[in-house]
Amino acid sequence: MATRTDAARSRTTLFGFDWLTVALVLGGVLCLYYLTPLVSLFLSVPPGEILARMTDSTVVDAATTSLLSASISTTVATVFGLPLAYWLARSESGWTNAVLGVVVLPLVLPPTVGGIVLLTVFGPGAPIGAAAASAGVPLTRSLAGVVLAQTFVASPFVVVTAKAAFEGVDRTLEHASRSLGKGRWTTARNVTLPLAMPGIAAGVTLTFARAMGEFGATMMLSYYPRTMPVQIWVSFIELGLDNAYPIAVLLLLISVAALAILNTVAANPWQ
Amino acid sequence: MTLVVDGMRRSHGAFELGPIDLAVDEEVLSVLGPSGCGKTTLLSTIAGTVTPDAGTISLGGLDLTGRPPEKRGTVLVFQDGALFPHMTARENVAYAASSEKRVEELADALEIDAVLDQRADTLSGGERQRVALARSLAADPDALLLDEPLANLDAPIKRRLRDELRPLLASLDVPVIYVTHDQREATAIGDRLAVIADGELLQLDTPDEVFAHPATPFVASFTGSTNLFRGAVVETGTGRALDWNGRRLDAAIGGATVGETVQFCIRPEYVTLAADETRNSVEGAITRRVFEGDGYLLDVVPDGGDEAVRLALSPPAYERAGLDERDRVRLALPADAIHVIGGVEECSAIGPARR
Repeated sequence: MATRTDAARSRTTLFGFDWLTVALVLGGVLCLYYLTPLVSLFLSVPPGEILARMTDSTVVDAATTSLLSASISTTVATVFGLPLAYWLARSESGWTNAVLGVVVLPLVLPPTVGGIVLLTVFGPGAPIGAAAASAGVPLTRSLAGVVLAQTFVASPFVVVTAKAAFEGVDRTLEHASRSLGKGRWTTARNVTLPLAMPGIAAGVTLTFARAMGEFGATMMLSYYPRTMPVQIWVSFIELGLDNAYPIAVLLLLISVAALAILNTVAANPWQ
Repeated sequence: MTLVVDGMRRSHGAFELGPIDLAVDEEVLSVLGPSGCGKTTLLSTIAGTVTPDAGTISLGGLDLTGRPPEKRGTVLVFQDGALFPHMTARENVAYAASSEKRVEELADALEIDAVLDQRADTLSGGERQRVALARSLAADPDALLLDEPLANLDAPIKRRLRDELRPLLASLDVPVIYVTHDQREATAIGDRLAVIADGELLQLDTPDEVFAHPATPFVASFTGSTNLFRGAVVETGTGRALDWNGRRLDAAIGGATVGETVQFCIRPEYVTLAADETRNSVEGAITRRVFEGDGYLLDVVPDGGDEAVRLALSPPAYERAGLDERDRVRLALPADAIHVIGGVEECSAIGPARR
């Protein structure tokens, strides 16, 4: 009996060891592939030079535009997205799948196509775009255009992540709250939202990170004012790779900060 | 104030609850039934978290049907307490309470002072249910609904809380519905007892009456009356009696007519050991012995029969008799303990009647 168990164990160990090694090697190569370019970016430019260029007006303007527009887009996405996410999580209606499909569409749509689609509505030639422009609020080549592009591409993240967070809140708790005499709003504020908060925070962070990095749709809708990704492109095309580095480093640091937030206050949606 | 459930129906897939008719005064009604019988659905429709397909629910003359859960005055206590895990025990109770003083009062009454400042998700099962009860009482319910609140507790804690619950619930002076699948809990806590199976209300009466005179074979077996047999009603000359596999049993026959085949039951606690051959006695061998901790169960197969009669003995009575498996014994089935349930065509299976 003992011998048989030992034999079985050593066979599994041997078998498992082989696969574990293969998995580690494959995974390790992939991780190196992610990390090497990042490290190389930092190494290729002396830190002093990057710091010096950080004060360039183009860099400062691009950073300001990006932070401002991404903050507005994230707020808009959260305000419009949370109620929808709650409905998607709780409704027993047969429409939820169709609606979820609509929400996810911008995620699978190439951003440049998203930009084209938006231009057909908000472009200067389209009725809405023309009306807004004549009212003095142009929806292209403006901060509004940047926000429209970023919201379109980035908002699905908060809806999808918050939906999962709401689904994680036991319905019984909501029923308990209602049964104790508290209405829907009191229940949402005191029970559902606090319990779903880590997931919602994750969704908001992801949306912000995606909005900061948005390039394709923004490029089509609002070449000016330049956001950081657009400025990287312009610097690269006009002045060469070296000139694109400072903003790239800045964007990279913002991404790392977003990741840090995901791993601390917010629930990491991949864990 | 009276809670009235009138002709309520609710179906979910193939399952159908009702029609249920109930009137609960300021008393404790235990609802007893197996898992999936519709007990929880019944509570949910009263509490408003599930909408009935038909029928009405009213409390103190006020129609509740269609009202949102928070505007009913009905408070539901859940199986695992449903405490808000991100709050302390105190915050949970205070969530529903009108004042800090009320929180302290309830903490006192339910002996949760010591854990009041612990987070709800760190409490033990028993503490959780105490906090859940305090929280529901803090909401000043006009009717209290409890959904198996003790089901997941360890036996000693369960028993203790059960014994505390009975006076607590009775003192509320509001309609209380206590749902459970445990017959001991149901009888210990309820002023009246409703038995539900397969979405159907089978019997509603005092616990004593349900136990002594079960309305259907299912009620009999679910309430522990495991001796359930069939016999024919025969004429004896002086009256009617039962013919059970050729044996004559005296019993109160009720409405059954001569020649009819009926089901009858006798609780194992009422079967006794008999010294001599008397009326209603059977002889046979012990085929099985089960020690249940607080008593012994002996299965005795009467000679020439194949259905075992179950006999419950207290430990002292068992030791006095000095019995073991395969021993031969004589049992008495007292005529006044035999309850004739009804015609076989009405209740052909041990289970709720299906039509």
